[in-house]
Amino acid sequence: MKKRTLALLLAGLLVLSLAFTGCGAPEPDAPPADEAEPVDVDPDAFLIGITQNNVGIDSYQTTYDRAFREAVESRADVEGIILDAAGDVMRQINQVEDLMAQGVDVIIIWPVDGTAIVPAVEKAQAEGFPVVITNSPIDESGYEFIVGFSGPDNIIQGRYAAEMMIDALDGEGKVVEIMGLPGYVTAHQRSDGFHEVITDATGIEVLETQPGDWNREKSQQVMENFLLKYDEIDGVYAADDNMAVGAINAIKEAGRMDAIKVTSACMFGDGYDAMLRGELHGSVEQSPIVDATNALEMALAVARGEEVDFWYYFETPKVIVEEVENFEKPVF
Amino acid sequence: MKNRLINFARKYPIVFILAVCIIFFSASSPVFLSSQNLTNILLQVSIIGIISIGMTLILINANIDLSVGSILAFSAALAMGLQTYGLFFSIIACLAVGTLIGALNGFLVAKAKINSFIVTLGAMMGVRGLVYIYTQERPIVGTERALIDFGSSSVGPIPVIALIFVLMLIAAELVLRYTTHGRNAIAVGGNYEAAENAGIKVERHVLFNFMFIGFTAALAGLLLVSRTNSATAFLGTNYELMVISAVVLGGTKLTGGYGSMLNTFGGVLVIGMIQNGMNLLNVHAYYSMLIMGLILILVVFIDTRFKAPVNI
Repeated sequence: MKKRTLALLLAGLLVLSLAFTGCGAPEPDAPPADEAEPVDVDPDAFLIGITQNNVGIDSYQTTYDRAFREAVESRADVEGIILDAAGDVMRQINQVEDLMAQGVDVIIIWPVDGTAIVPAVEKAQAEGFPVVITNSPIDESGYEFIVGFSGPDNIIQGRYAAEMMIDALDGEGKVVEIMGLPGYVTAHQRSDGFHEVITDATGIEVLETQPGDWNREKSQQVMENFLLKYDEIDGVYAADDNMAVGAINAIKEAGRMDAIKVTSACMFGDGYDAMLRGELHGSVEQSPIVDATNALEMALAVARGEEVDFWYYFETPKVIVEEVENFEKPVF
Repeated sequence: MKNRLINFARKYPIVFILAVCIIFFSASSPVFLSSQNLTNILLQVSIIGIISIGMTLILINANIDLSVGSILAFSAALAMGLQTYGLFFSIIACLAVGTLIGALNGFLVAKAKINSFIVTLGAMMGVRGLVYIYTQERPIVGTERALIDFGSSSVGPIPVIALIFVLMLIAAELVLRYTTHGRNAIAVGGNYEAAENAGIKVERHVLFNFMFIGFTAALAGLLLVSRTNSATAFLGTNYELMVISAVVLGGTKLTGGYGSMLNTFGGVLVIGMIQNGMNLLNVHAYYSMLIMGLILILVVFIDTRFKAPVNI
């Protein structure tokens, strides 16, 4: 009996140690990942810590995670501690503390919640840790505590959607706008960018703006109401492809697809397919791989003590229906 | 010596697992035993830990409460949203609503004799629905700086939130060991009818424990937003599972009649150390869930299969 107990406890220990070695501590000579060429890490390498939003939740985030890991492994001058908050804001705050305890050179945060993370960012700054925000900006009240933001320029994305709309309508017509979830910086910036360009353009009138909350079903309802309310609609601007597809569903049901051009400010896989079918006129490509490498570059520049722009944007090219085949279909 | 060690491990598997965790993580990461990291761990487990105190009593009674994550979210949203009526009002309302939902659960379990799993499963969904209705899926941000100043303050080296947890835990252990309510809890969980026949007011006792766990969930919600200053509809998702795991790791039986707050503390610490250690070792979150699941099953297995006869 006693021997069995001992055996069982030892077995438990074995399970533990196996599990640990199996997934690997951040040793410099860790076994290579499939694609990236691993490089021996310089003893003076910078230690960069990142806490991501929710890696398993969608392909964008999964691709970002993989790209970030590969970028870290392929460089000699950086060691990474790569964590995932799994969508739990409390866990993300805990991870920021754990990164501080390990004395990282720079902390990168992909905020689960742009407001709730502000106190943690404030604490990190107070203890001398530079923080870079990636992908989605935090609430403005936190700007004074961070070094800057690496990600897409949402205002440019909104402007691009507006420019594509002007081309599609030959500079004349009536459009409606479906924006993202109010209260989120991304939603407001994409709307602002669109309006910056559209007011300059002669002959295009924005009839009305309604929130679609990044949600396809909600956007479909919003579009159904627009179609009832306005007899003449020439264009629809949705802040991302998910909402654009919702709007397209409503337009097709009403049988008005031929009369209406749709543009969006961020391309998803479903939007790519809609573009192949000719239903979506234009969108904007945002690559998770570029998103990840841009964040790492910015963090390294900060670690080296270089001056960096607060808004450290990466390129997000226009995609119009005629050229869609030159682009890869987004994985998300 | 060897036999005594084995006996000890059989009697208190949680102490053994805790020791293994400490030895393993301190050997793998030089940071693990630093005072800053130990403080971090204590702070990080406090939210889950406070609810675990309520859950220990519930499990000793041979009941269960699945609604704590939803109660936490609702209380947290109220604590933020009602600040426009004053900080004091929002705190009282937050704690009162949590206790009230607990009372409703307790009433249905104790008086209407509905199984606690079903009652609190219903409450878990229903209260989460209230959270969505109240927040409209948008984050609610606090306006009172005082709450967040409180949440980030420390008494000496100990964060005030961790201090609240530890003091509550000690008080609860004393209640469990030395008061009528504590002894009744074990009696009710051991044999409900015998406890009733012995003159224990069982219904009132069970009702009180559900009110208490509702209170702990609300307090946890309040302390959580005192660190974030913002409440969203998703707060506290899966917390009921974390809390129940922590309490069961500590050796409290789902069948009732046995449990201790200090063992629960051990269970809470193990969960906190694994999460923290995984972060230090740069291990993917998926693995930490896998390992926690394995340890939970292992501990319960040792406990049911090899439990030493309790001879106190």
